[in-house]
Amino acid sequence: MKFYKDHYDVIVIGGGLSGLSSALMLADKGKDVLVLERHNLPGGLATSFVRGGVEIEATLHEMMSIGDPGKRLKIGQFLEDMGVNVDWLDVPEAYHLSVPGIEKTMHPGFERFAKEADEVCPGTYRKVLDLLNLCHTVYDSVNELSIHPMSKPAMLMKHEAFVKTAGYSAQEVIDTFGLPQKAVDLLAPYWIYVGAPLSILPFTIWAVLMADYVGYGSKVPKKLSHEMSLKMQERAEEMGVQVELKQPVEKILVKDGKAYGVRTKRGDEIHADYVISAAYPNKVYTSMIEPADAVPEKAIKMVNGRKIGLTAFTVFLLLDKSAEELGITDYNVFLGETMDTDKIFENYKGTGPYNYLTTICLNHANPTCTPEGTCIISITALPRIEGWQQVSADEIDRVKHETSKSMVDAMSRYYGVDLLAHALEVVIETPMTVAHYTGMWNGCIYGYLHSMDDHIVARLQTAEEEHFIDHLEFAGAHQISGNGMGPAVTNGRKAAKNVLDTMAKEAN
Amino acid sequence: MKVKGFLKDVSGASRVTKRRLAAFSSASPVPVTADPIGDVAREWHPGKIDLVVTQKRPASKTSVTLRFERPDGKKLPPFYAGQYIVLDFPIGDSLISRPYSISSAPFEARLDDHPFVEITVRRSKGDGFICDHINDNVKPGDTFRGQMGLGQFYYEPLRDAKHVVALAGGVGITPFASMAKEVAHGTLDMDLTILFGSVSSDDIALKEELEQLKSDRLRIVHVLSGDEPDWPGERGFLSAELIRKYAEGDCTFFICGPQVMYRFLHGELDKMGIPARRIRFEVFGQAKDITQFAGYPEGMADKTFELTVVRGIHEDRIPARATESIVVALERAGIRIETGCRSGECGFCRSKLLSGNVFICPENDGRRAADKDFGYIHACAAYPLSDCRVRIPIE
Repeated sequence: MKFYKDHYDVIVIGGGLSGLSSALMLADKGKDVLVLERHNLPGGLATSFVRGGVEIEATLHEMMSIGDPGKRLKIGQFLEDMGVNVDWLDVPEAYHLSVPGIEKTMHPGFERFAKEADEVCPGTYRKVLDLLNLCHTVYDSVNELSIHPMSKPAMLMKHEAFVKTAGYSAQEVIDTFGLPQKAVDLLAPYWIYVGAPLSILPFTIWAVLMADYVGYGSKVPKKLSHEMSLKMQERAEEMGVQVELKQPVEKILVKDGKAYGVRTKRGDEIHADYVISAAYPNKVYTSMIEPADAVPEKAIKMVNGRKIGLTAFTVFLLLDKSAEELGITDYNVFLGETMDTDKIFENYKGTGPYNYLTTICLNHANPTCTPEGTCIISITALPRIEGWQQVSADEIDRVKHETSKSMVDAMSRYYGVDLLAHALEVVIETPMTVAHYTGMWNGCIYGYLHSMDDHIVARLQTAEEEHFIDHLEFAGAHQISGNGMGPAVTNGRKAAKNVLDTMAKEAN
Repeated sequence: MKVKGFLKDVSGASRVTKRRLAAFSSASPVPVTADPIGDVAREWHPGKIDLVVTQKRPASKTSVTLRFERPDGKKLPPFYAGQYIVLDFPIGDSLISRPYSISSAPFEARLDDHPFVEITVRRSKGDGFICDHINDNVKPGDTFRGQMGLGQFYYEPLRDAKHVVALAGGVGITPFASMAKEVAHGTLDMDLTILFGSVSSDDIALKEELEQLKSDRLRIVHVLSGDEPDWPGERGFLSAELIRKYAEGDCTFFICGPQVMYRFLHGELDKMGIPARRIRFEVFGQAKDITQFAGYPEGMADKTFELTVVRGIHEDRIPARATESIVVALERAGIRIETGCRSGECGFCRSKLLSGNVFICPENDGRRAADKDFGYIHACAAYPLSDCRVRIPIE
């Protein structure tokens, strides 16, 4: 029985947001594409699960870069251009921050945000606004330069702020504004969405994050992130892409330094001119390339030289009363014992208890996401892999319950409600759960750690020389733009663009 | 603008690029394949594994217990007491799968010496030919493929009351047998009261095994529905009145048994005013007679339709009876489809209806909202109402 064509233009390994973005863009240019996804659902992390008859969002907190109809931002525009029409709902606030000395809800919009910061730290309005405006200038430059690269002198002329801040960490640039620590704390919470403390996080990344989230607010799909993933798959199929679920890929076939196909776990050998892999380069270079000696030493040194980003630990609680009845007033609460991101990052080395929690009550953006008279909260920490790597199969159940208990207790104290006394469902998602469903290397959801040693500007500069196998591209959180659902789409588009550029070059 | 000074500011990009290249050049050239987090995930969920029957023993007059070990003697995957295993049965040209609650305890799957997993299966009357096949034909030495650790029917300490009241009907005792053994072993921290409904005293599944486990943490109350004048214990059904007698304080009710019992107990627990968060039903199971469900259209029962099955670029045409799920039609035709719960919950058989109409068993509609919009079905809970075209995953 023949399930596949003899040949495709491109095989995409992984039907997550990144892989589907690659597929959409390639299909849009008339290419014949096969997407192979290991799970029986599209979307990778952008998915949902059903428990107790209720569909629950698995991962998405807030989607950046969508924008309103008529003035879409980068990701919203791409999806619309591709004919993927997601039913977006507004997230009503930026966040509520609860750390020692601060109890404050912040809202998107630079001026409003700066005003709210000023309410906590009088006299900081102007400086906070200036800092946010600097972020926006850098953000604009990043968006423009990602489409139209230019020479260094030209860049310095046209994108001065971008160039001059590129060599510094977020902390270094923030420090030049002379803000009181409390104001810095109010600006810091989103660090968790990129997963590196301010001291090592490139300012460039922090600027994009702040400009986008604080400048424009964020959105979520009405029917959870599965709506977005499924609509991307459906649209790709409409455009002729073949998407096959439940097809883990074991090998990427290489001959004369050039990828020419894959072998699935089922044993199908499928040929294509190009392969795009959403599997981590660590996994690809150490166990997926066939023959193994087609991997140059430089590739191994590269993956060994990079630090893996964060993984995820989430407790979901479906509660038997509405958010209003329980006094759960915010969409997004950052609850910390500290706002010192170095201390949090250090704490995240372990398996808990965690000193910084992100809690989402989706009902505040999506009131009908659970049945009437109920609500859902998810409590998340984004630990590093080190601690969880030490936990064995026989210990995981005990450890995950201890950690979950501490997280739920912390939020119960915060809300002043015994959350467990209202729990219809308790679901615990560990790094192992991520690994199980997505196959991601060490359960990592954040790709490589953003740092001054692995800076996005440097990633862009060295991209060419890190291309170790011809006709093999990568898409996913581990690529240039890094983690997050928005960047995943951008990374997928970039992989597709690389393929299209090479096709054009080789045709000449 | 200025951060630290013109020269340092404008050289930022080359500085970070140098740092990046330096990090790479000093890195080890030795491939690192260690993925311990993935390894734990694979130990819990290795997918289908090989199993060999090492023991078959009666569990009552009409049921047997089968013990499985791995052919290499290695530990079985960890699981939670109450979960099920799916076994594949090659029958003729077909590969048919069935879920069975695991009746052995999680600790027994992790023993150093001969770790094992057991199921207990009752011979059934007419509808479950696999149950008869197990009772009659399966023997020690037979090998199977199976996937275990599935389902949501297990004690969750953060959610459930410390006192669990199990309401079991017939062979629905199996998940509670697993829980009881784990409680007795000291590795499941809860108090368990099992109210165990059977028809006759001489056919109670796992009776002797369970009796040996009784302790101050584990009570077993047999309730007979059949007419036996000499029976000294409780009689009748698992009524609100009977449940009240044994369910003191804050308890969570776990219910597993035949479908008719589920309907009855929904009413009884409702009568008692038990809050929803204290009630856990095991999945409903395959509908015995789909035509009896609300909303099933008239005049369909004896029809057979043509089902076009799309897998990748390949298509097959097979017959599909209106009264059988699409999964059953596929299995009859020898087309592989992976199933788990066969109750519409787990989504293993998630497929797309490309054209045609189906009836979805209302008790078993566990689909995602966006899936419904795009015609996705869980094929085990979908019954054809016309010729249909369905795309299923390649197995």
